[in-house]
Amino acid sequence: MATFMTTEPLIRVEGLSKSFGSHLVLKDIDFAVNSGEVVTIIGASGSGKSTLLRCMNLLETPDSGHIWFHGEDLAADRVNINRLRERIGMVFQSFNLFNNMNVLDNCMLAPVTLHKMGRADAERLVRRNLEAVGLSDFVNAPATSLSGGQKQRVAIARALCMKPDLMLFDEPTSALDPEIVGEVLGVMRDLAAEGMTMVVVTHEMAFAKGVSDKVVFMDQGVIAEEGSPQEMFTAPRLPRTREFLSRYLEDQG
Amino acid sequence: MQRLAKLRSFVVDDHRYVFLGTSVVAAIGIWFSMQRRSALSLLAGAYTVEVCLYWFLMGWLALSAVALVLKLTHWDSYAEWSPLRRKPLSTIVRWLSYGVWATTAALFVDRAVMGFLSVTSTALAQDKNPSDFLSSIVYMVDKSWGIIAQGVLTTVGLSVMGTLIAFVLAIGLVFLRIQTIDRSDNDFVRFVKHAGVLFAKVYSTVVRGTPMMVQGMLIYFTGFGLLKGTGMTVSEIGAIWSTFVAGLVTISLNSTAYMMEVLRGGIEAVDPGQNEAARSLGLSQWQAMIKVVFPQGIKNAIPALSNELVVNIKDSSVLSVIGVFDLMFATKTVVGIYFKQVEMYAVAAVVYLCLTMVASWLLGKFARHLSVEPQPLTSVSDMTSTVGTVAGTGSSRYSLDRKRADAAQEAATFGTER
Repeated sequence: MATFMTTEPLIRVEGLSKSFGSHLVLKDIDFAVNSGEVVTIIGASGSGKSTLLRCMNLLETPDSGHIWFHGEDLAADRVNINRLRERIGMVFQSFNLFNNMNVLDNCMLAPVTLHKMGRADAERLVRRNLEAVGLSDFVNAPATSLSGGQKQRVAIARALCMKPDLMLFDEPTSALDPEIVGEVLGVMRDLAAEGMTMVVVTHEMAFAKGVSDKVVFMDQGVIAEEGSPQEMFTAPRLPRTREFLSRYLEDQG
Repeated sequence: MQRLAKLRSFVVDDHRYVFLGTSVVAAIGIWFSMQRRSALSLLAGAYTVEVCLYWFLMGWLALSAVALVLKLTHWDSYAEWSPLRRKPLSTIVRWLSYGVWATTAALFVDRAVMGFLSVTSTALAQDKNPSDFLSSIVYMVDKSWGIIAQGVLTTVGLSVMGTLIAFVLAIGLVFLRIQTIDRSDNDFVRFVKHAGVLFAKVYSTVVRGTPMMVQGMLIYFTGFGLLKGTGMTVSEIGAIWSTFVAGLVTISLNSTAYMMEVLRGGIEAVDPGQNEAARSLGLSQWQAMIKVVFPQGIKNAIPALSNELVVNIKDSSVLSVIGVFDLMFATKTVVGIYFKQVEMYAVAAVVYLCLTMVASWLLGKFARHLSVEPQPLTSVSDMTSTVGTVAGTGSSRYSLDRKRADAAQEAATFGTER
């Protein structure tokens, strides 16, 4: 028990279930992410991996189960979700930059509104984060004038401006042209190298294999198999995992 | 410009139905020449000129008859065979046809225009309402100019002020309407939100489900009764609760409901991802709405919102029943003086049409002005992302969002119908 306490994970999902109508999307999921860990969630479309990720900051409300984060249960009724969300960054497949703002205001909105940061301090913070994603020249560009890859990098910088403990990535490269996927993955690699705790839903198997500490394979609403990238990509236990990965590995080869 | 070029090519190059078309024009000219000359007729002193014009038109009819016979007898080979289709003659025929148009135009001015001016000036001079339709309109408008101008001013003031007030109220009401219960809300907040949504729903249903004429009556007489209850005299009440004020209140409250639905449609058409992104950063529902969703939603709604002004210009006419001195009331007043219903209501229709056309033209310019400086809604990179999403795994959710947006747009459109 004592050893368990010392390694209490940053976020821990316990018995999580979620259904859309009569369709059960997540079935009794148990899942934990330790501080500093990079976890990738892979699986076929409709296997529930995006829903699991969206439950982790309550963009989807789970039907039952618990999500422990900093000693509080996110899934509890009437929890102050806004305060907890400040510490969980989220990056979406479709970027979701605020279309009515420029890059600076996109990144500054949350720190200024929620952390009561002064505009000058906030601007310095934004510039530092934009530099990290290689977009310091675009501070004043309207959000809609950027390319897909640039938008996604701004979205990452925007999330980082809240100094989150955990970053969630929901298929961050699926909406991008193949030749600009690399620029976003590069930023994510840097972030992982700096020790950020990340949960990444992705179809980029090379990223999953090269960057993550743990790979989770989801199938039909359950975690079918999880393990280190070495185990998962060389000797998966289940035939279903082998079948899924073989298709992706063939594509790569 | 292109239409002009087309017309030019039809007149100069094709000139195909020259006889068929211009013989009708010539016949009309002959009919004009047989009308009585008025006192102001320009040709009154030039009898010879008029006889020449008459016989020119008759001659053209005869020539057309010849051409018709030739066409009927040589149906298939007419184009190659007829001398009227060959170079020297065809050029002359073309110039003559222009002459036919000019002649008919001259006769039209002499008989119709000068006749109208003659009747009108006589009527104005003798102060007697003429029986002629157009002259009568000119006479009555000239005599009751002040009444009509006051009516137009009232209508414009009522609809512009009513629309602006309604816009402000609608923004407040739509914020009540679109509230949703958030997990972190306590019981009191939940109750207030439920009450707000319910109020907005009931308001919208009641106002959109009853005629504005009835609303006007209710509001006017309710206000009147309440003030009467305080012991004020009728003239004192009239000073603060005039028909204009009652009308303004009616039109504002009525338009609020429609504008609220339009705004709601605009807000619901904003990509749900915008709200999700704001919430994921930790912003509250209210902060996300104010800072992110609403600014985009109101932009979606601007075309339909500005349409409300046009609707209000027209619909303010029903407020004449409570005695608001708008254009409709002014028209009725003039009708009461002269008993010329068709003439005066035709005038009212034309004035309303002019007002609405000017309003929609100005609003169109305003909307274009607004959408120039902000960004276009779909840029090239958005297109790429759409394609990517559809090809990727999120396709079902994305298309669902689109459907929801379309439905919201439909709701907005439906909301403006009356």
